[in-house]
Amino acid sequence: MAFEPAVTGTWHAARSGRDIAAELFVFDEDTAAVRDTQTGAILARGTRSSLVVSRRVGSVPRRIGFPDDSVFVSRDNDGVDRLLADTIGHGSRWLVEIERFRPRLIVLVAAVALLAVGVYRFAVPLLVEAAVLATPEIVPELMSKGVLASLDETAFSQSMLSEQRRAGIATGFHELAALAPRGAARFDLQFRSGGSIGPNAFALPDGTIVITDELIELAGSDDDLVLGVLGHEIGHVEHDHSLRQLYRAAGVVGLIMVIGGDVGSGVQDLLVQGSALLALSYSRRQERDADRYSVEIMARAGRDPAAIARFFELMRTRFGDTGDSAILTTHPATGERIEETRRYAAEIAQNGPAVPSD
Amino acid sequence: MNETTPTREDGDVDQTMRREPFVFTGTAREYFGIWLVNVFLTILTLGIYSAWAKVRRMRFFHGSTWLGDASFEYHARPGQILLGRIIALALIATYNLALYFAPGFSIVLAIGFFLALPYLVMRGLRFRARVTSYRNVRFDFEGGYWGALLAYVAGGVLTWGTLGVLAPVASRWIWSYTLGNLTYGGRPIDCDPRLEKLFGQWWLPAILFGGGILLFLIGSVALGYLYGSELADIVGGGGGVGTLTAGVLALIYVGFLPLIVLYVIVGLLYHAGSRNAAVSETVIDGRHALASTLGRWRYVWISITNLIATVFTLGLLRPWAAVRMARYLAICTAVDTVGALDSYIDTITDEGAAVGAEYMDVEGLDFGF
Repeated sequence: MAFEPAVTGTWHAARSGRDIAAELFVFDEDTAAVRDTQTGAILARGTRSSLVVSRRVGSVPRRIGFPDDSVFVSRDNDGVDRLLADTIGHGSRWLVEIERFRPRLIVLVAAVALLAVGVYRFAVPLLVEAAVLATPEIVPELMSKGVLASLDETAFSQSMLSEQRRAGIATGFHELAALAPRGAARFDLQFRSGGSIGPNAFALPDGTIVITDELIELAGSDDDLVLGVLGHEIGHVEHDHSLRQLYRAAGVVGLIMVIGGDVGSGVQDLLVQGSALLALSYSRRQERDADRYSVEIMARAGRDPAAIARFFELMRTRFGDTGDSAILTTHPATGERIEETRRYAAEIAQNGPAVPSD
Repeated sequence: MNETTPTREDGDVDQTMRREPFVFTGTAREYFGIWLVNVFLTILTLGIYSAWAKVRRMRFFHGSTWLGDASFEYHARPGQILLGRIIALALIATYNLALYFAPGFSIVLAIGFFLALPYLVMRGLRFRARVTSYRNVRFDFEGGYWGALLAYVAGGVLTWGTLGVLAPVASRWIWSYTLGNLTYGGRPIDCDPRLEKLFGQWWLPAILFGGGILLFLIGSVALGYLYGSELADIVGGGGGVGTLTAGVLALIYVGFLPLIVLYVIVGLLYHAGSRNAAVSETVIDGRHALASTLGRWRYVWISITNLIATVFTLGLLRPWAAVRMARYLAICTAVDTVGALDSYIDTITDEGAAVGAEYMDVEGLDFGF
């Protein structure tokens, strides 16, 4: 009667936990059935296409659902595959075949390693670029408003500088901003008294640039020094650095999260910490980019391209920052930045003002 | 049919007690290929395949866990998992973006998050229970919102607020919420771990951790007194730091890693102990009693050597480590059965959505039943 030897297993009536020793066999060309091992009575039957056969995973028991919701369970995976070959999709067989523990898996190990590096080096940056392009302008605006509002609340107060000093710096700033591809209208210079934050300047993603009184006072009457710093901040805005950093961190953490179940929670934590370290190196690269931007834009504005280097020197003598470019810092070492910006300024002075790199 | 009065089938006359151990039959060889293909396709598809990967992984671990002559089964479908993951990631992203855009509302957002958390946990536990079956009969989870709020939010506040002193109280809430609200074939599972038992598992890790902190403090003061002036130059970066501060700084540099390791060890010790205490107080259907006999130090040893082996082989030994842990957890768990285990009837009709379960998954919350 049966075309193939029957497969032994256990049968459950719909919703029942009761085990009944049974055999699965092929009834005729397109019908499969289950019979009671002891009595031989037919317990369930169905056309092969109506059966729901669970996909094979290792040596885990197979589950075959019948139209009446009864279930046949068997540990004989090969037997089930043989008996119901037509019902089981080729996709899952192919997967099971690859998963077998064979020397050829080494190739897959190598592929995973290459792929992981490839995704991190190429796919993530590409997705970040796409996300930056797809970001509507309202997003950086909202982000910037939020950050500035909370800083105003917690640390900043109104600028105490004279109207005249501010106007001087603002004029210089607009000249610089006019040279940036997105144009002066997209930038907005804000003066604040820094409070606990002290001498500082930073760029918000919508083009708002904030500079504190303390930094301007530190520069004395040297406007180029202040403008060098502002050129650096314009560079951050022009290159969408904050958006890039945000998307990159989100993308990497998201990838780690979805793979978390496969690597275990301990390794997942280590990966998250590791990606934070890599994000810092990314941040140092952005700082170097912005430094170069300042040198370029100052040269094009006909100002001292090495102004930013002089600013770093001033910071160094004032605050004694002599640290190395350690892996735990967001900014490169001051000494290194001075050297590099001076070198680049000299290079530009020789070759004439360059077009800002993009 | 039997929706309102879930029953056992008749003919259940055997009343002798038998100890039935859990057995994990999966091997590292077998899991290696499954795992590798999962990782490969997950990276290749930038995470989308992770839903299919999860189903394969869970089916392997459930299906390799046997009690008596039947294994557990995992029934979630990749589509459910994928949708759950997308929603969970969107929630996390929205929450983080909202923090970024409107820092002024961070308190409101935090409160909203802590009010939503119990709901997600509840839904997650329910989904996990409902997609798990044993002998064709599914589990269910009947815990509500307030139980989750007590166990996870109040319990967390209590634990951190008392620096871990009242952690056993929170553990009791968590275990009785997660285990005690499970049902199998419509029959209740009770879990009511006694506080004194949990405290019995608490004092060893507590003393170890307290002792470690004390050593750390004594060490830093001693370092400050003995070598303060030399250390000040090394750790102070030239700035004028006092000798005592230098001692503390030096010890933070040197002692930070050992302190983290100590924290992990006492956490694992306590987890194993509280699992023993809670699972051993769990009874299925008023008659099948669970038993857990983890060796606490053995559990710590396995966890830590697993992590080290995984990291130093760049992940290649992860399948071995996962199987090793599953095997150990299974051997140390048993059911003292009275009567047959196959006399239950499934009462589950709807699995619900996977959002909560996937949220717990991607956020790394794990309650390991």
